[in-house]
Amino acid sequence: MADWKKVLKDAVAKGDEDVAEDAAQRGINEGIPAIEMLQDGAVAGIYEAGALWQAGDYFLPDVILAAEAFNLAMKHLEPMITGVDAQPKARVVLGSVAGDAHDLGKNIVTALLRSARYEVIDLGVDVPTEKWVESVRDLKPAVLGMGAYMTTTMRNMADVLKALQAAGTRDRVKVIIGGAAVTDDYAKQIGADGYADNAMDAVSLVDGLLGAA
Amino acid sequence: MSVTTKLTKGMFYAKGLRAGKLDGFERLIAAIYGRPDRVPVILQPYTYAMAMHGLSSDIFFREPEPFINASANMANYFGVDFWSPVFDFYNIELDALGQKLIWRDSSEPDVDTSAPLIAGHASLNHLRPPVPGKSGRMPYVLDAYKRYMELMGLPPMCYCCSPFTMAVLVRGYVNLLRDMRDDPRFVHRLMEFLSMEVVVPWIDKMVEVTDASIVVMSDAWASAPNMTTAMIREYCLPYVQKVIKATNSSMRTVLDSGSWGEKDVKEPREILDIKMDMMAGNAFKALRPFFLLVWNEDYEVVGIDRVRKYADEKKVCLMLNVRPNLLEEGPTEAITRMVKGMIREGAGKGRLVMLINLAPVGTPVENVHTAVAAIKQFGKYPLRPDYEEIAFEPPQALDWPTWREREGLPV
Repeated sequence: MADWKKVLKDAVAKGDEDVAEDAAQRGINEGIPAIEMLQDGAVAGIYEAGALWQAGDYFLPDVILAAEAFNLAMKHLEPMITGVDAQPKARVVLGSVAGDAHDLGKNIVTALLRSARYEVIDLGVDVPTEKWVESVRDLKPAVLGMGAYMTTTMRNMADVLKALQAAGTRDRVKVIIGGAAVTDDYAKQIGADGYADNAMDAVSLVDGLLGAA
Repeated sequence: MSVTTKLTKGMFYAKGLRAGKLDGFERLIAAIYGRPDRVPVILQPYTYAMAMHGLSSDIFFREPEPFINASANMANYFGVDFWSPVFDFYNIELDALGQKLIWRDSSEPDVDTSAPLIAGHASLNHLRPPVPGKSGRMPYVLDAYKRYMELMGLPPMCYCCSPFTMAVLVRGYVNLLRDMRDDPRFVHRLMEFLSMEVVVPWIDKMVEVTDASIVVMSDAWASAPNMTTAMIREYCLPYVQKVIKATNSSMRTVLDSGSWGEKDVKEPREILDIKMDMMAGNAFKALRPFFLLVWNEDYEVVGIDRVRKYADEKKVCLMLNVRPNLLEEGPTEAITRMVKGMIREGAGKGRLVMLINLAPVGTPVENVHTAVAAIKQFGKYPLRPDYEEIAFEPPQALDWPTWREREGLPV
């Protein structure tokens, strides 16, 4: 019998989506607990890709394809995880702000947060201010993560924070920002709770803000 | 004075044959070929001009006259040496091909990445090349260039999207990565189509209208870490060189300005070499106005001295941008310090151009005035022995509304 956990781990790390999806399904079919397939397979694979990225051996395409492979595997594994294991640490809502159609960084952050057992609701790209406010009111996330990749769109982050304040919901959620256009200083300037320079840091940041490490 | 005379004057000045003072354009030419009287500063007014004139993106990026007049006003207000009519040059061919863009009132249009034009491989078979100069917003670009020539008496530096970045935008980044892995022949077919049936005819049309002597293909996606250097060498460079060979002439240089990524590779020279290769293919290499553009994200990590040495080794002009965030946030003392340091390290014996590529919307005008004045003050050749002691006071410029009322072109 193949070691499906290892096959899955290697496939995710290499960004081989077809093999990752197949391995996840076969592992489940052969009775391996989904939580083990997740932790020892998919999560181990995405962390290996992250480590190679941090070591300078992986480029963005490698990490992107690893995240895609992880997300495909998750489609098979997530529904099979039940009980205590199915309880996420917290809910995170992510998206790119209005006018901004870039989503690569956001997609990697999504995969890594999921791998760290956060429930992630992805609002997509070009998300208008009202939708951010609605999401805090209706979905009650612990963290709201906004991405902006252009200097012309990053200002919309400040608008969202003001709108949350006006709606009386700013205190209910931790707001983090990231993306090529923004900096730690900018996060402080607009009153966000945190800034992450890359996807790995985003997970640590969320853990730190929620005391969930 | 004719363009040829100005070019000759600038080139002669660079080599030590100095006849009279240089104007901004001549100073730029002198800096490209050698040592001018001082380091020139170029501005890309872009969305800053749009916001300062209260224009919507719909007007700025669709109507030639307000776009050019607003851009010219910013260049004149800040007193830069040269400016380029920069529009959303990544989108023009895409728009003409039918790619969906997202339009917003106060920012540049952007490709809707959720709806790539080539959703599947079969889509390529049905794609028709644009009619050069007629499809999409191509008439806007050509009319803007004509207006620029009326104002400046010079042909513009023409811009277009490189075939590789265009491929990423019409296919979608992740899709293209999968194609490179699973079906490289498809990627080459796509690159061939975009290069020879979209980019080459568009460059030919722009040059027919403007007689431009420099055409720049912009290539944001051919950067590390977005792509590996192996991907750039396999899928991007051969087509850049193909376009250059098809469009350059004895009087016209076509190049890909490359992008960034020196800081993201273990050996920065890999990216610098790629940038040089992106200018290859033009005949009479020694006479070409080549420049090595290095962005702040990279030179702040790898060091200006390192890229200066590389530019000297390759005998090309080094172009450095002023960090947009610093320009926006200031204070003026920090901007002055940064400019002073950049010139100290980058001025060399000539062949340095400073670029204000982006003043983010909301940047105080005092900050831009300070950057320009500091470049003019510190960038005088030869650098003074007491360089560190040179006193600098931020300039007292006329406020923008008053200047615009007195001297601005109508927008």
